[in-house]
Amino acid sequence: MTQLKITNLNKTYPNGTKALVDVNLELSKGMFGLLGPNGAGKSSLMRTLATLQEADAGSAMLGNIDMLSDPQSVRQILGYLPQEFGVYPRITASQLLDHVATLKGIHNKKERSELVDYLLQKVNLYKERNKSVKGFSGGMKQRVGIAQALIGNPQLIIVDEPTAGLDPGERNRFHNLLAEVGEEVIVILSTHIVDDVRELCTDMAIMNFGRIVYNGQPADALSALNGKIWRKVIERSEKENYQNSYNVISDKMVAGRPQIHVLSEVDPGDGFEEVPPNLEDVFFVRCQGE
Amino acid sequence: MFSEFFKKELFTGLKRPMVYIFMFIVALLVFGAVVSDNIQIGGVVGDVKKNAPTIVGKYVAILNIFGMLFAVAFFNNAALRDHKYGFHEILFSTPINKAGYFFGRFFGAWILSCLVMLGIYVGFIIGAAVGPAMSWIGPERMGDTPWLAFFNSFLLFVLPNMLLCGSIIFALATKFKSTIISFLGALFIILGYSISASLMSDVDNQSLAALVDVFGLRAYLVDTLYYSPFEMNTVTMGFSGHLLKNRILWISVALIILFLSYWNFSFSAKAKKVKKEKSGDTAQQQSVFQKPQLSISTDKTSGWNHFSSFFKINFLSMAKSTTFIIILIFAIIMFLGNVWGGFESFGLKSYPVTYKMLDEVNGISSLFVLIILVFFSGELVWRDRDSHISEVIDGTPHQSMVSLIAKALSLVVLATAIHLFLVLVAIVYQALNGYTNFEVGLYLIDFLSGPFIMYLFWASIFIFVQVLVNQKYLAYFLSILSLLITDIVSTALKVDSNMLILGSTPSTIYSDMNGFGPGMKAQLWFSAYWILFGIVMLIIAGLFWPRGMNKTIKDRFFVGRKSLSTPYYSSLGFFSLTWLAIAGFVYYNTQVLNSYDNSEVQREQQIEYEKKYKKYEGIATPSMTDLTYHIDIFPEERAVKSKVDISLKNKTNQAIDSLHFTVVDEEYITIDIPNSKLVYGEEGANYYIYQLDQTLAPGDSMQIVCKYDYFPKGFENRVSTTKFVKNGTFFNNSDILPIIGYAEQMEVADKNRRKKYDLPERDRMPELQTSCNHLCMKNYLSDGSSDWVNVETFISTSDDQLAIAPGSLISQSTADGRNKYHYKVDTPSLNFYAFISAKYEVARRKWKGVDLEVYYHKAHKVNVEGMLDAIQKSFDYFTTNFGPYYHKQARIIEFPRYSSFAQAFPGTMPYSESLGFIMDIEDETKNNIVDAVIAHEMGHQYWAHQVIGASMQGSTMLSESFAQYSALMVMKEENGPMEMKNFLKYDMQRYLRGRSRETEKELPLAKVENQGHIHYGKGAVILYALQEYIGEEKVNNAMRGFLEEFRYQEPPYPTSNDFMRYLKPEVPDSLQSLLVDWFDEITFYDLRLEEVTCVKNTNGKYELTLDVIAKKTKAAETGELTDVTIDDWVDIGFYKDSDEEELFFRERIYLNQENITLNFTLDELPAKAAIDPLRILIDRVYKDNRKSVSLEGE
Repeated sequence: MTQLKITNLNKTYPNGTKALVDVNLELSKGMFGLLGPNGAGKSSLMRTLATLQEADAGSAMLGNIDMLSDPQSVRQILGYLPQEFGVYPRITASQLLDHVATLKGIHNKKERSELVDYLLQKVNLYKERNKSVKGFSGGMKQRVGIAQALIGNPQLIIVDEPTAGLDPGERNRFHNLLAEVGEEVIVILSTHIVDDVRELCTDMAIMNFGRIVYNGQPADALSALNGKIWRKVIERSEKENYQNSYNVISDKMVAGRPQIHVLSEVDPGDGFEEVPPNLEDVFFVRCQGE
Repeated sequence: MFSEFFKKELFTGLKRPMVYIFMFIVALLVFGAVVSDNIQIGGVVGDVKKNAPTIVGKYVAILNIFGMLFAVAFFNNAALRDHKYGFHEILFSTPINKAGYFFGRFFGAWILSCLVMLGIYVGFIIGAAVGPAMSWIGPERMGDTPWLAFFNSFLLFVLPNMLLCGSIIFALATKFKSTIISFLGALFIILGYSISASLMSDVDNQSLAALVDVFGLRAYLVDTLYYSPFEMNTVTMGFSGHLLKNRILWISVALIILFLSYWNFSFSAKAKKVKKEKSGDTAQQQSVFQKPQLSISTDKTSGWNHFSSFFKINFLSMAKSTTFIIILIFAIIMFLGNVWGGFESFGLKSYPVTYKMLDEVNGISSLFVLIILVFFSGELVWRDRDSHISEVIDGTPHQSMVSLIAKALSLVVLATAIHLFLVLVAIVYQALNGYTNFEVGLYLIDFLSGPFIMYLFWASIFIFVQVLVNQKYLAYFLSILSLLITDIVSTALKVDSNMLILGSTPSTIYSDMNGFGPGMKAQLWFSAYWILFGIVMLIIAGLFWPRGMNKTIKDRFFVGRKSLSTPYYSSLGFFSLTWLAIAGFVYYNTQVLNSYDNSEVQREQQIEYEKKYKKYEGIATPSMTDLTYHIDIFPEERAVKSKVDISLKNKTNQAIDSLHFTVVDEEYITIDIPNSKLVYGEEGANYYIYQLDQTLAPGDSMQIVCKYDYFPKGFENRVSTTKFVKNGTFFNNSDILPIIGYAEQMEVADKNRRKKYDLPERDRMPELQTSCNHLCMKNYLSDGSSDWVNVETFISTSDDQLAIAPGSLISQSTADGRNKYHYKVDTPSLNFYAFISAKYEVARRKWKGVDLEVYYHKAHKVNVEGMLDAIQKSFDYFTTNFGPYYHKQARIIEFPRYSSFAQAFPGTMPYSESLGFIMDIEDETKNNIVDAVIAHEMGHQYWAHQVIGASMQGSTMLSESFAQYSALMVMKEENGPMEMKNFLKYDMQRYLRGRSRETEKELPLAKVENQGHIHYGKGAVILYALQEYIGEEKVNNAMRGFLEEFRYQEPPYPTSNDFMRYLKPEVPDSLQSLLVDWFDEITFYDLRLEEVTCVKNTNGKYELTLDVIAKKTKAAETGELTDVTIDDWVDIGFYKDSDEEELFFRERIYLNQENITLNFTLDELPAKAAIDPLRILIDRVYKDNRKSVSLEGE
């Protein structure tokens, strides 16, 4: 049904930071992954779409709704989990969800309470429903946040770093939940965890310095790098040498020693072995482009 | 490790506003006490500088007690911060050092608490600089800045006291981990302290009392008890005496508590706190919920649902918050503290009538509610953001305006909850005191018409400020400023209009007789004006509501504008226009219909008056001799019309060619003088001169007519008169008449203000003369405009009211729906009386041909019979001892409580409803203040109304001291001398407290210049003591002789010297010096019982040895004190009981040296010994005059 079309979106903060630079995206229903390092502009984009921030220029259309000039219409079909989700002190989980449900226009008391129970069960917090949310652990709070984002029948769900702080079990559970709702609506998932995108998204974009540096399907992105990623385990002292000599796109510790990936059209030799590209490589390659 | 935690604690604290806010509060308190005599922290007596070292010591010690409440915040925070943020699990699992953590935190908080107390010194320094500069207080009241006292008091009081408070609070906090318990702990310490302090104050053993005082206050008081003013001004507290011992003791205690709680403190115990799941819950089978079918609607009605959800969430989170609960508990404790004494005055309780409770409830709630409104306005506006949920809430489809209004209203409802809770406490209090006339409706009406509206207004304003400023603490500051600033600005701009002072309305006083009174209408209009203003502010705030990530005003406005809709514009338009319309109406009523001069303009007029017309002072004027009043009172309209025919007689020896008048109420008064023409007089001049066609020769008389026509229009900015009201109209003859000639009372009186406006210094009263024929031609009440006059009154009022004028009722009729009365005074009297109209019940009694009458409000009948008894008792004593009564009636008339006094006019005594009518004297046989006040006013029927002093120093002694003495003698007939001690106590206190507030100079009794503390307080004590020394008969002889010579005599009027002429012959030679000491000079006694020993001798009798210290001090008019050798007779007495009720032995002993040992042999073992047991000598410290007696060897 609905399509989200973002055209030439720009935003510069008063301190001069360019948060969004000519952002163009087109999204249709399904899961959309937004990757990017910290400070890339992901949150700015999401907040703008969530009607919380003004853009300087450009447009964002959700179907027929002009998102920038008619925020109220967007809010009626929006589910949003911000990066930083907190809760009121002295308010229980079900009171909080009930409040948000009311604000989202569910005025029937019975429906509301059924919905709250349903969602709490979905996020595995039903037993804790009458406890003050303030005393919850970070993961539990995050689950409350997920529950509130699913309230109503949102057509656009924006989740900013949703799996931070979740244990693997919870993370799986959350992914299933998202996948379930994502079949029908547009879900934008912002993350810097590459695996999240790989597991869930059919479509993705990578942002860096406020720009979209890649937009497409994960598979396409991977195939573009086929045969170009080479791996080697080195000594820590050699790192600088390699960085000077090769196009090192990432290094990480494996069993206590640095393992580097380099981007090269041809076999660099020197003990490098070819590996199939993963999304992380895509991410680093794209972010390096700037 | 210690220093890390210590620094962290300290610097975190310093970065937060709390330290500075608390410090500001403390500084403000001290500042107030330094620059004003109305704010009292510990008493400052007479000649002691406001910033004397001893005063610094007392303030510091006393404020430490309150400082404890501030300290709770810091210590509790230090102990619980990690816990609160759930950080303890992380922190306590790291290898931190327990001692470093514990003591680092503790001492950080300790320093912060001590820093707050620096506010005291700031208050002293600023107060001493600003007070004199602003002429709030004389520069002579300030000494040099006592730096050493600042330093020492910090070391001796602040540091140890905060250490002790801190150790206790820290122990409680680490143990119970609850802010409420820490706070209650502190409150209990304070309550326990004040209770034990009052218990200990009766203890003979001062050293023990000094030692056990936790805060060191009593130790310091004991050390400084006998300091002379000079010592108080110069001696700084040092490391010695009781204070040092006390401090060492309590520092040790503090350290012991601290180490015990350290020993008890463990990380693991703290980290272990995990709530056990309720097992039942988990065992229950959980059903699987299905996602319901949802009907989501966004129609217009959703606003209401949004509102109620916002409201509920906001209200719940505030009402459950610790801050709110603490403030509520605190408010209730303060309220109970205020009403605990039971509205006592002079040892007598008044019934807890609703208006008294209202005053208490409103006083407490307005203070605490404002704190709550300021605090929670910030909390609410910032709540979503502080809780990091704003992005979620802001992303839902609600209108910002709805959220804003819900916040404002939840705040108002919270305030209402506090208020109504206090009302409930008040009603329970009434019930517990056996008062069952519960006027719940009155509580509610009062709340809705006053406090509620203010809460609504201020909630809107504070939220507006928070939204617009968008910085929490800056907005707090501005909110508090807005409470004060408009007041200050309007004073500076010389604007008095309530329309320009935020939230200001005319005040109303509820009276049982007259309800809410004349201010109610204006109050309601002003309330509407302010509420609408608040609403408009809220609507504007809605435009700038910080939704989303937009921070700058411009961004917020830009976003806000998008959601504007027709309803927004129409409501903004509607409320603004209504506000404007009401503003116009209020303006028309308060500025056009009832224009008024602000106080500054009035003062300028006063100055102008003095400068222009002072030259006419003392010109020959005729005196009034006969007055016939025609008065019509229209209570419902609050209108009065009067026409007075006045006969003027030229009693001077010069011909008078023109009549001069001072007219204050120019609008209402007209003067009609036949055969004359107005040669001077213009609007605003207050001064009029009429040229007579024919001069008035000495001894000749003439007639003039003065009219007064008062008809109120609309409503006023401030109720200008409560004299004319719907029920309880009460005005004096001087209110409706012009003043003849120049009126000195129009001049600016205040010494400093005169200096400021370059007016010459003036005496408060003409100096007492030894022979004064031409200076004694005026009495101090009518000031030359009349002497003894004949008065006749034709007065009418509405047919449901009774009108009263002075004199006998000649006739009475009802016609045209009006009650008409004709009164005539039976004997020429002072030209000083009142006219009264209200719905009255009347109680009558006949006593030897005199009609005794009490006119009272229906609900106030409980004490009426007692009042008639009191009049009768007074007559019994006065006619026997002083002479005949010349009127045919004695009336007590109740009037509304707009004033709280009783007054004596010829034959009539108006008595405020707040005074005797609601006093609880059911169980009182002895200490009956109602009797005392009536006896005093009855005394005035002789002293003032039969004989009155010249307008000169000493004259008020002849009326006020004599009336007070007469009252004491009536009481003594009833009660006997031991009970009288309790009455005298109040007169003594009145004098001693009053003299400490003297702004110019204190004069001896015989030269009193109309100062209450001297002519009532000191005068009563001295005359009473005199009759104890020379005999009642002798004093009464002197008074009677004086009365007989001057009774109803035409001028010259008598002076205090004339009375002394009668008194001297009555006093034996041995006591003549008393007259000098007591009347002509200012004398204090310092009598102390140092040591009492008692042994039983072989005859079975008791031998008592008393070590006595007896000193006498004279005060010069400048306040300088000189010790003189004692040379007086003083009573020594022994009590049977320790309550000092039965004095079984009393002997008057001649004392002529400072240290004397006295021996007595008694048949009985006394419980207590006392010097001056009747308490009749003026002694600033009476506590040390008594000592318990115990038998040696037992």
